Amino acid sequence: MKDKVKVALAQISCKRGDKAANILKIEDKVTKAKQQGAELVIFPELSLTGYTMRDRVYELAETIPGYSTTVLGKLAKKTDTYIVFGMPELSEKTQATVYNVAVLLGPDGFIGKYRKMYLPTHSVFEEKRYFRPGYQTAVFETELGKIGLIICYDIFFPEVSRLTRLKGAQLIVCISASPATRRTFFETLTAARAIENTAFLAYVNLVGIEDGLQFGGGSRLVGPNGKVLVKAKYDEEDLVIGEINYADIRPTEAFVPILKDLRPELFDKLKETAEKL
Amino acid sequence: MELTPRVLDLNWSEVETKVKRFITDYVEKSGAEGVVLGLSGGVDSCTTAALSALAIGGDKVFGLLLPEQENYNTKDVEHVKLVAEKFGFKTEMIDITPTLEAFYNSIPIFETTDKLCKGNIKARARMIYIYYYANRLDILVCGGSDKSETMMGYFTKWGDVAADISPIMDLYKTQVRKLAQHIGVPKEIITKPATPALWPGQLAEEELGIKYEILDLILYGLEHFMKTEEIAQQLGIKKELVNKMKHRWLSMEHKRRMPLTTKIQYRTMGADFRLPSTRH
Repeated sequence: MKDKVKVALAQISCKRGDKAANILKIEDKVTKAKQQGAELVIFPELSLTGYTMRDRVYELAETIPGYSTTVLGKLAKKTDTYIVFGMPELSEKTQATVYNVAVLLGPDGFIGKYRKMYLPTHSVFEEKRYFRPGYQTAVFETELGKIGLIICYDIFFPEVSRLTRLKGAQLIVCISASPATRRTFFETLTAARAIENTAFLAYVNLVGIEDGLQFGGGSRLVGPNGKVLVKAKYDEEDLVIGEINYADIRPTEAFVPILKDLRPELFDKLKETAEKL
Repeated sequence: MELTPRVLDLNWSEVETKVKRFITDYVEKSGAEGVVLGLSGGVDSCTTAALSALAIGGDKVFGLLLPEQENYNTKDVEHVKLVAEKFGFKTEMIDITPTLEAFYNSIPIFETTDKLCKGNIKARARMIYIYYYANRLDILVCGGSDKSETMMGYFTKWGDVAADISPIMDLYKTQVRKLAQHIGVPKEIITKPATPALWPGQLAEEELGIKYEILDLILYGLEHFMKTEEIAQQLGIKKELVNKMKHRWLSMEHKRRMPLTTKIQYRTMGADFRLPSTRH
């Protein structure tokens, strides 16, 4: 496992419903990021299709592994990079049950996937109408370290990141499609999740306008002490690269030993109390 | 939540950027050559035209002045010309009086004393002119409706509200005035009393029975799920007034939606046929 990893935050806008066009854009950004030394290139939530699909999600969703993960897996192999991107997954066992998924690919192809657990269905969001929630956190052991995947609204629920961290993830990747109006929430929560888990957190948000919704960008790589290592522009496409040094976790963890001080018995109480809300 | 005028104060540079980005993005993605707007000389339409010109360039913005004899106001025409000159967009003026006369004379049940029905003909006739220009010149209709009037249903259904995009529809009237000031719309346009000009002497605040400064705070409270009692208490006004505005807001939903139909088949327009806009 590498001690240091160069991470590219590929903050893109998507052509809605046009997977071929979005794959071309992903290929272009991965190539550019690789030229700048990136080993892991991260794209936003549902970057294969665009975020606002509504009823079209049923025709756009694919099984995983499937066509698009194979095409992009070849790209990962060709460029010798790791790639995280978002797409709608069609369950293999059904014909119209879909998940909002983050996919991790590597030089050997498909590594794993994470199905979004918390589906926002309020304000302008209607994810529960279309997606089935996931039930598992996802952490993958790679040459670049243990990488955990979460998606957008999951970050509002600290237990998702906590569980991901407790499974060993030292880098939590959060892909997102968040409107600019929610900027403060994400800037606060990305730092909070990194600090409280003593882990690196890479947040990559969508940009562009879909059905009047302006996605805000502002992607960032946050260190275990909450410091923003690199950040992308607001509102427009950007590609920024930052470096993770896993050794930085040690002094932070020793300084504020959050993981050492965890109180598991509170989690039972949390469950009991939450059920009675 | 504290309900003071401060809550309506936004970062106007950011708002300007967002609105301009929205216009540019939509025009680009739709492949249109520009936008056409109906210009009354009021703050909403003048500000929307100015923002359109700032976004996509004045040469791609076409302003239509559509006055008629009964409500002709030299000041309004002057104001449109002032904004057009400042922001560099083209205008054309067409007197729609003969068209309106033709309507009045050809409708067997036409009643000249029914001001509202007559006024609505004016708004809908203007819509026909504006859409003709849009079709003919391959441009989009850019509407100037604001949030206060849209929430109140204070517009003519399929008339002045008809548009392909409505860039300032999420801004209350008092916010539009602030944005107008920010981008440099002449003061005399911002400060003049709002009127739909459907009949002589018609004034929006008089007809709505409330000042926009109060109305916007009530609507802001309702938007933020506040209870009517709380809104009334915070603004120091009667609960009945807040309830009246709330009732009007709710009862006008039919003007803001696709026409309702009854569900007969598998997927239905306006109900569970849920598609994204095809413009990427």
